[in-house]
Amino acid sequence: MIPLLLRIRIRRKSHRGVSLWLPLFLFWLIALPFLIALLPLVLIAALILWPSGKGKPILCAYLMIFRLIGCLSGLKIDIRSVDNTIYINLI
Amino acid sequence: MNEERKTILEMLAEGKINTEEAERLLSALSKETETGSDVTKIKSGYKYLRVVVEPGPESENSERVNIRVPLKLIRAGLKLASFIPKDAQVKVNEALHEKGIDTDFSKIKPEDLEDLLGQLNDLTVDVEGKEKIKVFCE
Repeated sequence: MIPLLLRIRIRRKSHRGVSLWLPLFLFWLIALPFLIALLPLVLIAALILWPSGKGKPILCAYLMIFRLIGCLSGLKIDIRSVDNTIYINLI
Repeated sequence: MNEERKTILEMLAEGKINTEEAERLLSALSKETETGSDVTKIKSGYKYLRVVVEPGPESENSERVNIRVPLKLIRAGLKLASFIPKDAQVKVNEALHEKGIDTDFSKIKPEDLEDLLGQLNDLTVDVEGKEKIKVFCE
């Protein structure tokens, strides 16, 4: 499932810090049509580069982007020290 | 019929082993297969790779790291890495080599990753008492 929310929390000593909940589903609403609109261009590029052997990797890499986006959900990075905190969570 | 079973039966037919020995070998082989299927079950239950770094008793640094990476993402990343053109892979490997990492990630197959995760049972690395690094799947 694609991540729908992004939680970011950054705190530094002597700084107030940032804590955000970003609605990624709104971003996907914009990005997904753009990626789909890119498909004909990718197909043309793949056809042109097919004889050189680079066509297949381009096509496969394009399809893998969708798979990667779908696998991002659940990624969590949490780094804490006395002075700093970096927290990123894709929900 | 798998290769091992066939070899045992051939050895029996050639008279290299007797029936009792063949039976023992075959039962050991079937047990091994059952254990293998259990490992597969465990592997399929894993969803995330966790890396936890905690300060050790002798540490002055109180930095804590907690990373959770979906295994699907690692698998997809490995597949994506295989689509990187060879000349780019050479450059990536050179850059990694400069950083002291002598690994060719393009040669790591998804099956190798499954084997690695199957063997990864709560790995803990103690860095001179300063840091404790735990790598495990959940």
